[in-house]
Amino acid sequence: MALSKKVTVFDVFDRAKSGQKVDENEWDYKIIPQTASRLKEKYGIKMDKKVMVPTDRNLIDNLFKAGLEMLVECGVYCMDTGRVIKFTEEEILTSVKAAPSRVVLGEGKDAVVMETRSYQDKKPPVIQGGPTGAPVSEDMFIGVHQSYAQEPLVDTIVDGVLQTINGHDPVPGSPWEIAAVKSEAILIRAAQLRAGRPGMGL
Amino acid sequence: MRASDSHEVSQLNELKIDVGALAFTAHYVLAGDVIMCEQMPIYGGYAGGLEETTIVDVATTLNAFIMTQATWHLDGPIHVRWGITTAREALAVAGHCAMAIEANTNVMLGNQYYTLAGPCTVMCLLETAAQAITDTASGREILSGVASAKGVATNYTTGLEARMMAEAARAVAGMETAKVNEILDKLVGMYEKDYKTAPKGKPFQECYDVVSLTPTQEYLDVYDEAVKILTELGLDYWKK
Repeated sequence: MALSKKVTVFDVFDRAKSGQKVDENEWDYKIIPQTASRLKEKYGIKMDKKVMVPTDRNLIDNLFKAGLEMLVECGVYCMDTGRVIKFTEEEILTSVKAAPSRVVLGEGKDAVVMETRSYQDKKPPVIQGGPTGAPVSEDMFIGVHQSYAQEPLVDTIVDGVLQTINGHDPVPGSPWEIAAVKSEAILIRAAQLRAGRPGMGL
Repeated sequence: MRASDSHEVSQLNELKIDVGALAFTAHYVLAGDVIMCEQMPIYGGYAGGLEETTIVDVATTLNAFIMTQATWHLDGPIHVRWGITTAREALAVAGHCAMAIEANTNVMLGNQYYTLAGPCTVMCLLETAAQAITDTASGREILSGVASAKGVATNYTTGLEARMMAEAARAVAGMETAKVNEILDKLVGMYEKDYKTAPKGKPFQECYDVVSLTPTQEYLDVYDEAVKILTELGLDYWKK
């Protein structure tokens, strides 16, 4: 049956309010492990941890089928409403097909194009350098991020988090958290500017 | 933030979300922003073992593109005991998940880096290289890191770890998969025996001159030592 439209985040929220009620412990300790285990058996999936990158096409495709079936069968649990958001297989595959295969990160001469690559592609991946959410002190914040921005092979920045903001703990949900997050963006732009890469993505 | 920056939204473990994440996803969508949907499945967590965690990883990767209308997905399979993405099992989950998605879709995938050892140590650089090799050889489009010393110690991250991530990726791009797996098995075997005594390394201010922002000679020597090991394992990037 043809879809009327692609699923949006607004549809997702509506389903989070109307989906089936499930106890969170049941989700964590029964639904997730039991479904994953059953799909492992159904598709005969067996991995060898000495092999990081698989070459067996059946294994590769069965992992995809099992993952897709897991998402269709389980859906996603909304912690705030205690309900399950469900998608059909067709809805999922339509969204996956609609996802971009190319995007420009950053601006001007400092922009980098990211596009799909194959596992045997000689083209290397885009490099997003940075502390990846690790804590950085206020006095070191620009210097630490500039050390990434000045690396020629780093294409875009992933930020660290300010340990404090004007000496205050950026407690989640507090005004200080907002101040910290805004300062992080300001300071990373400063680091990129100091490295001579003002258009670099973040 | 500009529209061309990656705007982050996180899924929760496993296959969970909160309304707050949906609310700011709505803002990203309406603003036309690049959306990066992040999620770190736990090996040994709710899902269970290697195969089960990989199945959940595939499910949550696909979910990024329907639930949060992601431009790209940022993975990060993490080991429940060590809290790192560079453990053998975490690499196997990431490698298998990426190959499953890569073979069946055209979406863009990234992976994030959490090493056990910290800056200015050979172990940290070898862990970083192992993950960069896995991610590059399994078709991922973007590598994001490095949160050295598990990403929990203040100022224990520097640009040199990202340099290793980039150079190791270039060293294996296009390499035959059988050779990649052979190198990875040996490389991971070199550091996985040292988990209980992993060195925390040194903070940024002891790794770099904080005025000139240049790495110390000590760290450059450590970097060269890691390069020597990787070259002996069969990566010829640094010989060119």
